[in-house]
Amino acid sequence: MSTRTDTIAHELAASLAARLGPELGAEIRIGAETDLSRDLGLESIQVMEFVEEIEDHYDVSIALERLSKARTVRDLAAIVAVELGHSA
Amino acid sequence: MNLLDKFDAARALEAALGESGIDPTRVVIERIVSPTEAIIEGRPIILAGTNNYLGLTFDPRCLEAGHRALDELGTGTTGSRMANGSYAGHQELERELADFYGWPYAMVFSTGYGANLGTLWALLGDGDCALLDADAHASLYDACRTSGAEVYRFRHNDPDSLDKRLRRLGERAKRALIVTEGMFSVLGDLAPLDRIAELKDHYGAYLFVDEAHSLGVFGERGTGLVEALGVTDRVDFIVGTFSKSLGATGGFCVSPHPELGLVRYTSRPFVFTASPSPSVIATTLEALHQLRARPELRQRLWRNAGRLFEALEALGLKLGPPVRPVLGIPLGDKPAALRTWRELLDSGLYANLLLPPASPDGNSYLRLSISAAHTSRQIDAIVERLRSSLPQLRSAEPTSP
Repeated sequence: MSTRTDTIAHELAASLAARLGPELGAEIRIGAETDLSRDLGLESIQVMEFVEEIEDHYDVSIALERLSKARTVRDLAAIVAVELGHSA
Repeated sequence: MNLLDKFDAARALEAALGESGIDPTRVVIERIVSPTEAIIEGRPIILAGTNNYLGLTFDPRCLEAGHRALDELGTGTTGSRMANGSYAGHQELERELADFYGWPYAMVFSTGYGANLGTLWALLGDGDCALLDADAHASLYDACRTSGAEVYRFRHNDPDSLDKRLRRLGERAKRALIVTEGMFSVLGDLAPLDRIAELKDHYGAYLFVDEAHSLGVFGERGTGLVEALGVTDRVDFIVGTFSKSLGATGGFCVSPHPELGLVRYTSRPFVFTASPSPSVIATTLEALHQLRARPELRQRLWRNAGRLFEALEALGLKLGPPVRPVLGIPLGDKPAALRTWRELLDSGLYANLLLPPASPDGNSYLRLSISAAHTSRQIDAIVERLRSSLPQLRSAEPTSP
């Protein structure tokens, strides 16, 4: 796994923790392997809102078909890393 | 896991609705009395969720045109236009639509869904991009996502969000199609088409607008929001449906681009779908004549929308400007929404219940659509029933008769 994806996954996990804040139970710690739906119970509309924030923050656009298989924070980070590579 | 296990979620949903005793998906209209009244569960019900904006479903001239077509042309075309040929009515309706919009090209499809699928599949393919409003109708999502193009969502009605996505595309923006709607179907909110058209021009992209809920509703001539906002000459493709203001079924696309005339060769939903039945074409054509010749229908629709809007706001419901013929009222969580919807039906009012994921922002909504055919008394009755059943209005004082 690339360092870049690691770094982005860490940033996304921190962003998610800040976003969900008090909604999260104390036992849930968000990391690269956290599953957005299974572990955090996010509905698809919430995932899409988070993706919109990611797009603005990194100034990238993520095509819907690329998101269809993304389950974890690391999956999202890998997509962002590829998109950043494209626009570099 | 076997093939049919994927239905477990739907089975659970059906069971939950069955246990609750409230299943909006199983409403049966036992008899339709008029554009605004029906018999449901043996009782008279006021209809406020039909999208029958101009109330033309029982217009005597439309009925007569349909009857005549049935007698003269039979019940169906029994095949697609590419295989079985076009009826004269198909072509006449296309000429009439082209004339109505002032553009040279028009195509008729058998459903509104088919119009979106048929045109977007033809317009988009590998290497193209679709920029899709986040709250766009499911048919637009389905069409874009299965077209082969890359699909990017922009925030609902947010030109800045669209601007960013167009900028990021760089030169590829010239292969991008912006896909949005005129009036959106759940909340009745309006796309900022003037600003979207500016962006389309700036980046050299194309603009596709679904006016399903705007046809017959907006614009001095009634073509839609594109006309009302003065951007007709900056839009590339307009699609619409026959199933709302025109009171039938079917859909269409109009365009100034000659390529729309070539879509018939490349659009699989067009090539492989049976063409609309003669009676459907005949009633649609007559309804379009009525729409064009009787602006008073549109004026009555807006008067009715204003009456409902003012009464609900007077009761304290925050609807926000502008007045519109479609209202989405938030109903809280799903069980509460189901209870309220059922209570309204019991009180004699039918409106649409929209639950996630079919609703735009994860909330449940009651959708009301007003018709030119509603009487003032019916609108007052709608308000009174809402006052009695909506939790947020229960403490409001009754309106004066």
